[in-house]
Amino acid sequence: MEEIPARSPVEKVTNGAQPSIAAPVKSQRRIGSLRDFLALLAENRQCITWPDPVMPEPDIRYAAVAAGNDVQGGPAIIFDKIRGYPGRRLAIGVHGSWSNIALLLGRPKGTTIKEMFFEMTRRWGAKGAKPQLDWIKPEDAPVYEHRLEQDINLYDLIPLTRINEFDGGFYIGKAAVVSRDPRDPEDFNKQNVGIYRLQLHAPDRFSLLSIPAHDIGRQILIAEKERRPFRIAVMLGNHPAIAMFAATPLAYDESEYSYASAMMGQPMTLTQSGNGLDILAETEIVIEAELMLGERILEGPFGEFPGSYSGVRRAPVFKVTAVSHRRDPIFESIYIGKGWTEHDTLIGLSTSVPIYSVLKDQFPEVQAVNALYHHGMTGIISLKNRYGGFAKSVALRALGTPHGLMYLKNLIMVDDDVDPFDLNQVMWALSVRTRASDIIVLPNMPMIPIDPAAEVSGKGHHLIIDATSFLPPDNVGPDVKLVNRPAGEHIERLMRRIREMQEEGAR
Amino acid sequence: MSTGMEVCPRCRGTEVEMQYQGKEDGRVIWSILHCRRCSFSWRDSEPPESIVPEKRDPFFNVNPDDINRYPIVLAPTP
Ligand SMILES: [Zn+2]
Repeated sequence: MEEIPARSPVEKVTNGAQPSIAAPVKSQRRIGSLRDFLALLAENRQCITWPDPVMPEPDIRYAAVAAGNDVQGGPAIIFDKIRGYPGRRLAIGVHGSWSNIALLLGRPKGTTIKEMFFEMTRRWGAKGAKPQLDWIKPEDAPVYEHRLEQDINLYDLIPLTRINEFDGGFYIGKAAVVSRDPRDPEDFNKQNVGIYRLQLHAPDRFSLLSIPAHDIGRQILIAEKERRPFRIAVMLGNHPAIAMFAATPLAYDESEYSYASAMMGQPMTLTQSGNGLDILAETEIVIEAELMLGERILEGPFGEFPGSYSGVRRAPVFKVTAVSHRRDPIFESIYIGKGWTEHDTLIGLSTSVPIYSVLKDQFPEVQAVNALYHHGMTGIISLKNRYGGFAKSVALRALGTPHGLMYLKNLIMVDDDVDPFDLNQVMWALSVRTRASDIIVLPNMPMIPIDPAAEVSGKGHHLIIDATSFLPPDNVGPDVKLVNRPAGEHIERLMRRIREMQEEGAR
Repeated sequence: MSTGMEVCPRCRGTEVEMQYQGKEDGRVIWSILHCRRCSFSWRDSEPPESIVPEKRDPFFNVNPDDINRYPIVLAPTP
């Protein structure tokens, strides 16, 4: 294989250099790959290996759901005794609980969602955050320990299972797909890494579902229009930051690798795929494939994140041209369906942070954004209220953010004395701080096509509930005073002490 | 087990091909089948709710003869 041409779209930093990202990432252990992360999880009792033989269906689905039911502390599970797949390994639930996400962010188990949110906002906005990307030669890259260029049979390599009972086939649900603009294939920053669902149709053929608005959708349309070859690399079993950050809305000319590296404050090691794309050198499996120009195949249904099946459609088809993989590769799968599922933990924070970042820029009054629910179909924003109706203006701005346009269906606005990550507090605000005039419904708006409530797919409503306090020029109503609830450090100290007393009592 | 006489659980078509067999010590544990007509794939060891036509929820039936029911996601340039 040819040596990779030098290119330096971003500053290269050698391994071991100090992370230059501003505040956050102190002495975080280096995570270079899925294997590193699974080891870290196991040390923290957040990864288990299933001891018994299992059938591909329904056993793996059931175990994944059961582990995921513990949203705070559920472990990742490795299956290495799957009937009919001797020697093959599957990991599921890697991002399936908040404890796992905390460990990925270099925080201890039990870190609150709110703390992780602020940790991520600090990293997102860190001044001088520099991505660190190292390129190594393919012959040095673990992903090239094995390579197949003919007689490829993905069924033989990947222990695929049906994720939900009425899925149209066997899906790869956590694939990071690398592609480049077919008109500008040399531009690293126009290279995209996106998470798309792939359905296998033959041992060397799969469909990929995208909409025209997605980067890869746009690229497919250009390639077909201009009859240009369009090659992709599908990475399976990746560095855990990739799945978390590749789903984050980025501008078209920003690299997801740079972004993931900056967010981790750690280097990412890349190499080149056989078909000319930059891939993670330590990924478990890389499938190289080429678009079959103009071909479409029946795809779906697939149980999606709103908890409903997306319908059957005709989707583009790719032919596999080569497969590289590490020795004894681990196939990483995900359970997705009616929530709560790994999908929610995986993308919840990276959905919330960009909305916060856009809003905070224009409205410093915004305190936090909780858009954890179903990719932001429901979100809660807290702010310092300035005057009556202020929160409604901020809400409308939130609907104009890139994600807000199609996803923020229901939006609840609360004051800064309410923690938007504590639903008990949010419910209190709904109970006591809403009036009929605080509810705005914008009907017949664009909405993600897979909302099961839609009467017409692709259309829906935005609902804003302003549950902030009443301030002039609103009529502030009768003479009501709120109770001052004791809070702060001394209360937290007492909470810790009471917990200790309880535990002592148990002993 | 694959007998070569399978009917697709989803469209009842007969253009079914066996694409892979999971084996242990040479013994077939299950087979993966694929319908060339409606692109449904299944494993013959799955619960009957997924692979037995009579037990499947008919909502999920697919009729490839009525292809226009299924939207094209990215319409290719003619
Ligand atoms: Zn069929």
